[in-house]
Amino acid sequence: MKYIKKDLGSFNLHLIKTKKFKTTTIRVVFHTPIKKEETTKRNVLTDILLQSTKKYDSRRSLTIESEELYAADVSNSNHRLGNYIFTSFTLQSLSDKYTEDGNLEKAIEFLGEIIFHPDFTEKDNIFKEEKLDIVKTNATVALNSIKEDSSGYSLIRACEAYDKESPISYRMIGYQEDLDQITPSSLKECYQKMIDNDYVDIFVVGDYDSKEMLLLIKKYFKFKKIKKRKAPYLLEPKKCRKRRLFAKETTDNSQSKLAMICPLSKLTEYERNYPLTLANLILGGGTDSKLFKEVREKNSLCYTIHSMVNKFDNILIIMAGIDRDNFNKTVDLITENVNNMKKGKFSEKDIQIAKEFYNTAADEVEESEYRMISEVLMQEVLGLEPLKDRVKKMNQVSKSEIVKVCKKINMDTVFLLEGVKNEEN
Amino acid sequence: MKKIDLEGLDISAYTETLSNGLEIYMLPYENKNNYFISYATRFGSDVLEFEKNEEITKPPLGIAHFLEHKMFEQEDGVDPFTYFSKSGTDSNASTSFDNTQYICYGTKEFTKNLKYLIRFVSNPYYTEENVEKEKGIIAEEIKMYQDIPDFKLEMELRKSLYKYSARRIDIAGTIKEINKIKKEDLHTCYRNFYVPNNMFLLIVGKFNPEEAIEIIKEELEYRHKEKLPTIVEKEEPEAVYKTSKTLKENIEVPKIAFGIKIPTKKIKMDSLELDLYLNMITTILFGSSSEFRERVRKKKLLNSLYMEWESITNIKTFYIMASSIKPKELIEEIKQELEELSISKTTFERIKKVWIANEVKMIDNIDSTVNNLYDDILKYKKIIPNKIELIRNMKIEKCNKLIEQINWENQSIIRMEKK
Repeated sequence: MKYIKKDLGSFNLHLIKTKKFKTTTIRVVFHTPIKKEETTKRNVLTDILLQSTKKYDSRRSLTIESEELYAADVSNSNHRLGNYIFTSFTLQSLSDKYTEDGNLEKAIEFLGEIIFHPDFTEKDNIFKEEKLDIVKTNATVALNSIKEDSSGYSLIRACEAYDKESPISYRMIGYQEDLDQITPSSLKECYQKMIDNDYVDIFVVGDYDSKEMLLLIKKYFKFKKIKKRKAPYLLEPKKCRKRRLFAKETTDNSQSKLAMICPLSKLTEYERNYPLTLANLILGGGTDSKLFKEVREKNSLCYTIHSMVNKFDNILIIMAGIDRDNFNKTVDLITENVNNMKKGKFSEKDIQIAKEFYNTAADEVEESEYRMISEVLMQEVLGLEPLKDRVKKMNQVSKSEIVKVCKKINMDTVFLLEGVKNEEN
Repeated sequence: MKKIDLEGLDISAYTETLSNGLEIYMLPYENKNNYFISYATRFGSDVLEFEKNEEITKPPLGIAHFLEHKMFEQEDGVDPFTYFSKSGTDSNASTSFDNTQYICYGTKEFTKNLKYLIRFVSNPYYTEENVEKEKGIIAEEIKMYQDIPDFKLEMELRKSLYKYSARRIDIAGTIKEINKIKKEDLHTCYRNFYVPNNMFLLIVGKFNPEEAIEIIKEELEYRHKEKLPTIVEKEEPEAVYKTSKTLKENIEVPKIAFGIKIPTKKIKMDSLELDLYLNMITTILFGSSSEFRERVRKKKLLNSLYMEWESITNIKTFYIMASSIKPKELIEEIKQELEELSISKTTFERIKKVWIANEVKMIDNIDSTVNNLYDDILKYKKIIPNKIELIRNMKIEKCNKLIEQINWENQSIIRMEKK
């Protein structure tokens, strides 16, 4: 992998060259400080941009064009990292060697068409009412179906119980009241703001000529304004409650979902990027973790249990699917396991295993276009050192450093989405 | 070891079948850091009853899945998860209708991990205690799936389409049935179905095939071919079992499942060719670039759609599952599309182009390549080296002829509404 970063004023271009793939992947990432009332609009916006464009006036003609370009895929996503919302548009296209000369350029032009030439009305130059209607109906359905993913829903509710003011609790799927207020012109404003004011990073992964690629990107992605970064990416750490908060909601399900939010107090940058990663892997990272072994294997309390870290938000999350009668027992057992970590009750072997998992993940970065992009993006926003140096540092983390970071884990919020259905199976 | 060039993909596969019947499929990559190994048996939840030496066995439902969980119990007390973890290797297992597989994937210690994967799947260790312990875990797994509305919808559709097939039943069984499982049941199934001539190994990624074959032979060549039991199953009728059903569930937005049951005995095409053509028909009719999608999108009838083909002996079934605020209208649209079934040459050729491009794209990604090869091995008992050529040679005339041979009205429709 060869990596070159070019500052083109209005955006950064990241050229990641590798011979591993028969495709070229281009991702355009917009990022801006998040506002709760704008998450819904962002979703509607990215959805409507993929419904039609000036040149392709229906979703069908847009899809047919992508098929004609030898199945060039365009997808989008919105997600939050810390204080920011990231909106991405990704194109994956076969290289010309496997298609025909000029196909990749056409695919890049196609991505440019989706981003820069929305299907506006002739008259007012705003989004079309009938297209917006379709997208809004879909969004309403998605909002109404939010509880179908009970695990995801329990996490949303746990975050809201933890701190309903913090971006941690913003629902990325959006809110019905915000959706109802979106009009063709307010959406146009949101679009214009994204194009004009968001920071933009463009990533290109594949086997191509850098000079030619630079010209193509400049030709089809014309961002005008130069922007300066304002807010920090990381959230400010929040003080932990003096007494643990227990919150609950019932649902007509057989299984209950437990979600625990554990704020991490005053992490140093080193702790955030190194010992914390290992602490999480040992505690609940996988099938060899303490939680999996103790709660599932030894006590048969659940089928799924894991922990994950959100570096940007200074929290550690623990989730499990349990029977409601086992709620207290499970919470006690999880607490005991976290406390054991704080007391250093884990072995050098556990640390070595966590390090090996990290090393494997690092080895696999180059096997996926998306992981490579994410790696470069994280270096960009978190100011991380290059992967090679991080691997070296990670392998030198000591047990006392891990214990120290574990002591910063506070059990703050315990949420139970209680399944109250009693059905004979 | 036979070398098979995968046409148009710049890569070769290697295959061998040992004298005891064990099939080995390997696809080494030169430019990857990682590898993936799957050790699988053609034993899944489809087996409800079997006969060997005039003795009939009818294990509790969910036995194949239970056995998969218990495979991770080893007599030496070493947990396979822990063994693989030492080299930062991930491991897992899964049970389906027609197979169970044990997998590991990582970047290091290929030979040791291959050896270990084979050994741990070759050495079951069941005790009354460890069998009991698993019941709580699996009960939670069953409950987890039953809380997923789409899972329930699909189950209900299968119950309507099939009268006798094991596909009517959850792969994991029921809580009542798994509570009946005893260690002897596990041993009986293991003895009968975890035999070389019912198993295969699939290895993809960074490894040396000669070295791999040597290890596999060392570990497994001594085992003998065994007489396989006969699966006892009633012949599935050609007609759908029930044409419609409505259920009330814990959902806000209504859902539908639309199934078509197609008997294949009279269709003169081999299984692979038939799969390609059937898939082509439904992709053109209901795929992302279809006129149907555009029409229902404009009418706001469709919010999400998922479709799939499934095969059992002599039957293929097609599913559409969708969420819609106007389920009745959506069902009418689907029916209408099937009544006026026609296919344009331009679309047919365009979808062929898409499929060929997807074959090339897929080979870049180890995970999707593994899934694709695994499916082919299960369905066709081989790796298909010329898929691109097969797609390129598809003819619209054949497609149209097939359309006429099928009774598209053999439908079953499930509606799921808010409680």
